[in-house]
Amino acid sequence: MVHILYIEDEREIGGWVTKELTEKGYMVTWLESGEQIETHLKKADLAILDVMLPGLDGFSIGKRIKKENASIPVLMLSARTAMEDKIEGLSFADDYLTKPFHPDELVARIEVLLRRFQKHDDVLNLKHLTLYTKDMRAVHKKTGEEIQLTGKQYYLFQFFIRHLNQILTKEQLYEGVWGETYIEGDKTLMVHIRYLREKIEQNPARPEIIETIRGIGYRVRG
Amino acid sequence: MKNFFRSLLAKYMLIILMALFLFQAGYILIAAFAMGLEENITSETRSEMKNETEVEESWHVDANSLSPVSAQTVGELFAKWKKEYPEASMFWVDGEGQLAEELDTDDSLPAQWSSSYTAQFIKDRYDRNPYTVLALIGEEADQGFLVFEIPRSVFNPPITQVYDQYGTYLVGGLVILVLVFISLSFLFFRGIRKRLLHLQSAMELRDTDGLPVQLEIKKKDEIGQLEESFNQMVQELRESRKREQKEEQLRRELIANLSHDLRTPLTKLRAQTYSLAKEELSCDGTKAVKAQEVSIETIDQLIENLMSYTLLMASKYSSEPQEIDPVRYVRESLALWYPVFEKEEFEIEVNLSPFKDAVWIVDPIWLGRIIDNLLQNILRHAKDGRFVGVETESTRDYDAFVIWDKGKGMGGESEERGAGIGLSIVDLMVKGMDLKWDIETSIQGTHIKIIKDK
Repeated sequence: MVHILYIEDEREIGGWVTKELTEKGYMVTWLESGEQIETHLKKADLAILDVMLPGLDGFSIGKRIKKENASIPVLMLSARTAMEDKIEGLSFADDYLTKPFHPDELVARIEVLLRRFQKHDDVLNLKHLTLYTKDMRAVHKKTGEEIQLTGKQYYLFQFFIRHLNQILTKEQLYEGVWGETYIEGDKTLMVHIRYLREKIEQNPARPEIIETIRGIGYRVRG
Repeated sequence: MKNFFRSLLAKYMLIILMALFLFQAGYILIAAFAMGLEENITSETRSEMKNETEVEESWHVDANSLSPVSAQTVGELFAKWKKEYPEASMFWVDGEGQLAEELDTDDSLPAQWSSSYTAQFIKDRYDRNPYTVLALIGEEADQGFLVFEIPRSVFNPPITQVYDQYGTYLVGGLVILVLVFISLSFLFFRGIRKRLLHLQSAMELRDTDGLPVQLEIKKKDEIGQLEESFNQMVQELRESRKREQKEEQLRRELIANLSHDLRTPLTKLRAQTYSLAKEELSCDGTKAVKAQEVSIETIDQLIENLMSYTLLMASKYSSEPQEIDPVRYVRESLALWYPVFEKEEFEIEVNLSPFKDAVWIVDPIWLGRIIDNLLQNILRHAKDGRFVGVETESTRDYDAFVIWDKGKGMGGESEERGAGIGLSIVDLMVKGMDLKWDIETSIQGTHIKIIKDK
């Protein structure tokens, strides 16, 4: 079970978030300040921090968490919406969500972070495929056959899965997978997406897993 | 008084005084020099130096009194005069017109003198150089005549001779004095110019905070005082900047705290609404909860807009322009908005082509905010059309993004009609980044263009 460490001094909000996340299947440890954080940090898979807290503020706690264990994803959850605050928060944290937020959005962001940091062995159902996200194995549901992906196809698919449900532009995909600046008109990405679709789609002419969002980019929906 | 002696004025006056002193001293020295030479020259010649008339008279007297007249006595007379006048030449033409005796004459004298040649000789030498005295020998005038010749310069006063002999040195000395004065003045003004130029270039230097750097004061003169005043001004400017930054920080802090204090109860409200929505509610109850959720979203957006607008109006929300690819940036913004429109079942038409001028110098945060506000307006006020279109438009004069919907237009009724603060922010930000914008609205929909002139 994924263990979330949540620090929030507003009791009503803290209680509500804890309840909602617990209902979604997470184990939540809610603290009203960052004083006893060390005892809970070892067990935590993810930390959610408010910014304005009694004693040490959320930014200081977040920096300390990242310094001690960089593999714990940190999500800042704050009513401070100024750009400076977001920039300061994102200088160390992995995500920044502003209040008032919808619990579904919070859960979606938690899931993205857990996937990005490979905190749980997710099994995703993508149409006719079963995907084991930890080792990125894709298995055909009916035949049980494992789909073999070449290097770039693998990294491309992995990039989509790490950004599940997000629409990714050509530039974001190319720069994320190839690590180079995308030059307008370069067909490399299109070619690799075509090859990837030929491997994973039942009918590559009518792709269901990798959606084309016209004029914007591509998306894989979980 | 101490300051006066450190001043440039004092230095300049010192140079002038030195020049005056040098000229005076120069004149005195030259005068003394000339006087010394004159004395020297005078002592070199005889103290009882005769003038032309006296020489003439003496020569006549000596010629008249010569007895007996022979080559020997004439020679002795010549020798006596030669001793007194070393520059002189003399000759004797006897009663037969023969050139009988001569001393230091040139070769042009004839051996035989006719009366006509003698008359011509007298005419040629009259009032000319050399000064010539012709005197008959004895009372009878049958012994011929004696001629005495001497350059007229011998009779010049001593000072003229000094100038003749040492004039070049004296003029040279004066020229050197003038040159010394000019050089001193030149060095003085060159020094001032150099320091002023250095001051100018130092004033143009900027520190990391964009303010001029403090200058090092080396001298306490007028330029030093100017440097000191400049430093004082920079100091005051820096303090003023600090005060301004502190005020800005306080204002931002106040707004951030206000925003926080408003959003916290709003989050609580969201929590309550969410919990309520999970309960079994009547049809009206469900509607009320949904309306409440929409209101929470609206209030949240209004708070955000109000804070931004306040900062923008106070020019405290500063633009930080950088080179970005606007098409890429807008496409990435649309990627974030797409699921929201998709959820609301909008038809989405995106047609973005790269601009010829691929780079805009704008603040990406501001551009993102403009796109967000415009799309949010469509989502709120043009829901009826269920359509959003974003495309690029390039003409010879401009590149533009066109965002359009098929709602009822801005004149139409909207349930969430506000004070237009979102569009006011768009207006301020568009103008703040040297862009333009244009709205065409009708009951068929609204077209908004964000334009950049070429």
